[in-house]
Amino acid sequence: MTTSPNTALGTARVLAGTSRGRLDLHAHRDAHGMPPRRDAAQLVRDARAVRLLGRGGAAFPVATKLASLPVGSRSRVLVNGSEGEPASHKDRTLMRLAPHLVLDGALAVARALETRRVTVAVGDPASYRSLHDALLERPDGQAVRLVRHREGFVGGEIRAVARAVSGGPASPPGRRVLPTVHGVDGKPTFASNVETFAQLAVLLELGVDAYASVGDADEPGTTLLTLLGDLAHPGVVEVPTGLPLASVVGEQAGPLLVGGYHGTWLPSAGDLVLSRPALRAAGAPLNAGVLARLPHDTCALGEVAAVARWLADQSAGQCGPCVFGLPSLADSVERLCRGEDVRADVSRRVGLLPGRGACAHPDGSAAFVRSALTAMPAELDTHLRHGTCGRPVLGALPVGRAA
Amino acid sequence: MRLEIDWTRCDGHGLCARLLPERIGLDDAGFPVLGDRTVDTDDLAHARRAVSACPRLALRLEQAPSPATR
Repeated sequence: MTTSPNTALGTARVLAGTSRGRLDLHAHRDAHGMPPRRDAAQLVRDARAVRLLGRGGAAFPVATKLASLPVGSRSRVLVNGSEGEPASHKDRTLMRLAPHLVLDGALAVARALETRRVTVAVGDPASYRSLHDALLERPDGQAVRLVRHREGFVGGEIRAVARAVSGGPASPPGRRVLPTVHGVDGKPTFASNVETFAQLAVLLELGVDAYASVGDADEPGTTLLTLLGDLAHPGVVEVPTGLPLASVVGEQAGPLLVGGYHGTWLPSAGDLVLSRPALRAAGAPLNAGVLARLPHDTCALGEVAAVARWLADQSAGQCGPCVFGLPSLADSVERLCRGEDVRADVSRRVGLLPGRGACAHPDGSAAFVRSALTAMPAELDTHLRHGTCGRPVLGALPVGRAA
Repeated sequence: MRLEIDWTRCDGHGLCARLLPERIGLDDAGFPVLGDRTVDTDDLAHARRAVSACPRLALRLEQAPSPATR
């Protein structure tokens, strides 16, 4: 098992104390103390005051989600630790190194909602072991149900996870049901990503003012990123929001992927600022926090084609436009790599994907391919002229099952 | 009202495109491509006919725009 290197630029918060390895309960309490109790109204107020956004990808405001849940034993809490995107490592890093912080956050939400029903769904085996051991270490551990959930990228979508842990299929429902209304066991559920719960625990620990003392005014605090490829600090990093994107990924020109495999390629970091609201406004949402810059010795277009094929393979197989559209799109990108000028075909196929599925997989996949072709004009031109760029595909963008 | 498709149910029978050709086309694989999804009172009877013809009950007319999914 290899753990990605993890670093903090600035003050470590969710990763505090983890440089020497996993924090057991004792070490965790030394680093973070006991979270104070908050009722639902207080938690909503705190989350709203620091504009906390969900860290799974959709960046939905935590306060809004929390406020829509009824207080009482009917409600459920669901921690999504599936991390089905092989490029992302931040959630497994948190679960492996700071499992108690995640659990503190989840149990604080459960206490605020006055429910004892907490489910943690985990894909990575080492993360599962870490959380399993953590639950044995804690006096309040028996309140938490730990579930293995290794169902790929689309199967890790929050509504798919909610269905799977309720005994259903690990695929997004066709109707637009919200987990806050119809989640785990069909009950109102506060469902969010692992990092969201860790951030909530830190918010309780520090209080609103201290939490918001670093980071961008639009999204105060820190965020976890997974940095991939030709970057100064590859691996998982914790950074205050509001940094110039170029300070994290470098100022050199060259295609940059923001937001992982449902993300957006940019020609360079430009003067973008690293915060979810700012990047969303710039048309390059941060999603689960993956930033990648391809090394110069790999075939960039080939990397895009490999991910496009992987995205096609990840389809849950439920929706026709995705089942047929994504493999055709992957075929077309491969033909581009071989020098066939099928750009018009790619554009047409990309245009047919958005909004035509039960989940955002077609939309995200379309954004990934469309932006790649815009951000890599030189690479595309070389392939169209010579049928190759002469570089091998090194797999800088991982598409296998991540360690 | 607004036309919605449950994509997990749609099998691409294509009746909707035949009954509402001004709003619904078909892609290469025979799955519907929706143009304008909003249906006003003038078109409601037409849209209802397409909805009731869908053999998979995948095409629906819904009230307000759907909320965010996550």
